[in-house]
Order: sequence, then structure tokens, then C-alpha cells
Amino acid sequence: MDQKPSKARIFLDPLFKANPLFVMVLGTCPALAVTTSFESAIGMGLLFTFVVFCSNLIISLLRKVIPDEVRTPCYIVVIATFVTVVKILSSTFLPELYNSLGVFVSLLVVNCIVLGRAEAFASQNTVVDSMLDGLGNGIGYTWAIAAIALVREVVGAGTLTLGKVFTFIPKVTLPILSGYSGSDFSMAIPLFKSSAGGFLVLGFALAIIAAVNNYKDKKAKEKARAAKAAAAAAAKGGNQ
Amino acid sequence: MPQTGYIIIAIAIIVALVILFTVSFVVYIKTPAPKGCERGKGPNCENCEVASCRFYADAERRAAKKLEEESSKKGNE
Amino acid sequence: MSYVVSFILAIVSYMVIDNVILSRYFGICSFIGVGNKVKSAVGMGLAVTFVTMMAALVCWPIYTFILVPANMGYMDTIVFILVIASLVQMVGFFIKKKSISLYKTLGIYLPLITTNCAVLGVVQNNTAYDFGRSMANALGTSLGFVLVIFLFACIRVRLEGANLPKAFKGVPIALIVAGIMAIVFMGLGGIIDLGSWGLI
Repeated sequence: MDQKPSKARIFLDPLFKANPLFVMVLGTCPALAVTTSFESAIGMGLLFTFVVFCSNLIISLLRKVIPDEVRTPCYIVVIATFVTVVKILSSTFLPELYNSLGVFVSLLVVNCIVLGRAEAFASQNTVVDSMLDGLGNGIGYTWAIAAIALVREVVGAGTLTLGKVFTFIPKVTLPILSGYSGSDFSMAIPLFKSSAGGFLVLGFALAIIAAVNNYKDKKAKEKARAAKAAAAAAAKGGNQ
Repeated sequence: MPQTGYIIIAIAIIVALVILFTVSFVVYIKTPAPKGCERGKGPNCENCEVASCRFYADAERRAAKKLEEESSKKGNE
Repeated sequence: MSYVVSFILAIVSYMVIDNVILSRYFGICSFIGVGNKVKSAVGMGLAVTFVTMMAALVCWPIYTFILVPANMGYMDTIVFILVIASLVQMVGFFIKKKSISLYKTLGIYLPLITTNCAVLGVVQNNTAYDFGRSMANALGTSLGFVLVIFLFACIRVRLEGANLPKAFKGVPIALIVAGIMAIVFMGLGGIIDLGSWGLI
């Protein structure tokens, strides 16, 4: 058995190395649906973080109580409870966010990541580790969908609007690819706001990550080969 | 008080559904698969990459458990 | 007569114009995962169709006649997911017991379907519709799922032999293909105006 990962690794791995969206390619449905607006994506990420954190916490607390046979029904009940809590809270305190996310708040119940973390991590690890894992996955997923939403909103609408969903901050519209209000100038490509744009942006993002990984692998291999050659040369030199 | 009645009905519905789900789940798991399509051996399973599939989570878990047991046995010997 | 026509038009509209995968984004996980063998794609699609129809048939009355009168509309998600999950397990049990051939085509995919967004998404959307429209939604959505997953599997069979850049192999090219399919389906938008048939 290999060594148990440290607490920092448990938290940091899902942020980059094992990012649930960009590396594991899980939870693609909300990642495409709510990313037409940067703010809704952040809001979705926050709700997701809450659900995955709480469900990981409860499931790891109960991991010795739940019989192995019926664990999946138990996980689904726990997750559905927290999704209902999130639904009620968000519709009360942030109705704009709730309306802009629509049915996808309810669909957190069947989110592959939440159930997957419960099954693969929280059911076998301690409470603190599971909390860290939930937090890491939540934040990793949040920044991933926020990045996609940023590209889609800026390229698709030409502007970046803040304060529309989170009504407690003042509403501002930043013109990035378009002129200030009043001018007709705009370099926006509306396709990016439509459903096709979501697929294309996520596809290219995954391809870029794959390319970077391929490049890193190649570099590592070359380095290993060079080190091996150097070691062989040194051994030869030593013999002579 | 009508409010209390509604809360009791709500809890009763949830409990009944959870019991229904648990029973049907256990019954489903206990029923052996027909011959020739056991877990992971199905003709369609090799080409499926659905990451959220519980079959795989289950199979991996079992495999990990088996490995652990074997290694602990070896350690004892 | 006009009711039948509008029912059929609604099905077609949900199937191709407002397609589940390409414009409503339900069920992308299984869409990406399953699709490089036509047979398994069709099996998956049929299983989703069956479960969606059953779930819509069962959940709509539960919501309308039990949850709403008892003032418990907030419990919809948890009730729906439990009903769908039990339904899936029961259907799976019967299929396992009764029919090997049915198990081979549908049964293998049933456990996947509890966590398929399409089923829960349709049922959740149906809470706002009347019975006829929710049935049309369920049938049209699941037929749309079958259609797209089948087309996608056919495309991916071809993609396997294609000479792609290494970085695009696998999921990235699948997503880009899905994006191009979405553009194609966008072209169908507006051929049926549901408003003029009194459906919206």
C-alpha cells in the first residue's frame, strides 16, 4: 500500500492536478449550462461547494454506521437533503441567482462529482480529510466553471456584467470587447453565448490542457533519458 | 394545528420513500444477473466510459478491498 | 384533432429544436461516456426513454395531487430522486428476473440512469406543465436523447480512424463534434412555433 496523502495534498490536488472538471471531465452538464454568465457560474460554484462539503462531512461521519449494502441509497438521501437546503436558502436570499440557475440547482442531486466524492473518498476517510477534499473539489470546480464562463461571457456578449445576480454589489458593466454604452462598436461573437459555444469552449479548454500535459510528459521523458545517458557515461568514465 | 400535520405528512412521505428505495435497492443487488452478463463482463461494458457508473466504483472498491486483505494476510504470514 | 396535432408538434419540438443534450445540456456525462459503439448508444438511449416515461408518469401525479395540496412543493427534488431511484431498481429487478435478452440490451444501463440528469431534469421541468404537455416533454426529450446519442455514436466510429492532433483525442474532439451538431440543430429553430398552437 502506498502512503496516505498529506492534508495539503488532499486539499490542493482537486484544485489543479485532479480538477473535477478539467482533468476528470465530470459535472459537465452544469459546466455548460450555467456558464453564459460569469456571475451565475460563481454562484453555482458556491452552491456546489456547499453541497459537496456538507455531504462529504455527513457521509464521513456516518461511514461506520452505514451498511455497505445500502450505502448508495444513504448517499442519495444525504445529498438530496443538502440540495433541498441549498434550494430553499438560495431562493430566499438570492432569488436572482436561483432564477438564473433554474433547474440546475435541483440537478446538483445527480451531479457526478458529489456522488463520486461520497463514494470514492468520504466513505473511506476521516472527517477532516473528507471536509478538506470537499472544499478542494468545490473550489476547483468553481474556478473551472468561472474560467469557462469568463471566456463565454466576454467573447459572447463583449461585456462583463457584475451585480446582476449578486444584487448586494452595485451593478457595473465592463466593456471589454465592445465600445462604451452608446457606441455601436462590438467585437462580440454571439455564438459563444449559445449552446454550441459552450461545447466548443470546453472542448478547446480540455485540448489545451491535454497539450500542456503531453508537452510536460515529453520534457520529463527527455530529462530522464538525458540523466540516464549521463549516468551511463559517468559509469563508463569511472571504469576506465 | 394544521402546520404540525403537514410536517408529519412530509416526514412520513420521506421515510416511506427511503424505505421503498432501500428495499428495492437491496432486492435488485441480491438478484443474481442472468448468465453471461455478470458485472463488468457484459458485451457493452468494455466500450462504455461513463465515469459516474456505479458498476465501476463498486468493482474498483471490491478489487481494492481484496488487494488489501491479501496484503494483510501476507503480512501476517 | 387539433389536440393530437399539437401533441405531436410538441414532441417534435422537444425532440429536435429544444434538444436535451444539444440545447438543454441534460445528460452530457452519459453522452460523452457511452458513445463510441452504436449498439451500446442505442441501448442506453432506449433505457433512458423507458425510465423517463415511467418517471414522468409517476412523478407528475405525485407532485400535483400530493405535494402541492399538502403545501410541500419545496420537497420536490428529494421526492423525485427517491421515486426515480426506486423505480429504476424495481424495473431492473424485473428485467433481471424475467428476460435475459432485455437485460442484455437495457438492464446493463439501468444503474447508470439514476444519476442521469435527463430523467430528473425532465421530471423537474414537468412540474410547471399540465399532464399532456409533460407527457409530450418526456417522450420528445427521450426520443431526442436517442436520436442525438445514436448520431453521435455513428460519428465517433468514424473519428476513431481519423488522424487527429494528439491533444484533441478522446473527450475534446467529442465536445467539438457536439458543438458542431448543436450549430446544425440550431438551424432547425423556429420551424415549429409552439405559441401559435396554444402550447406555451
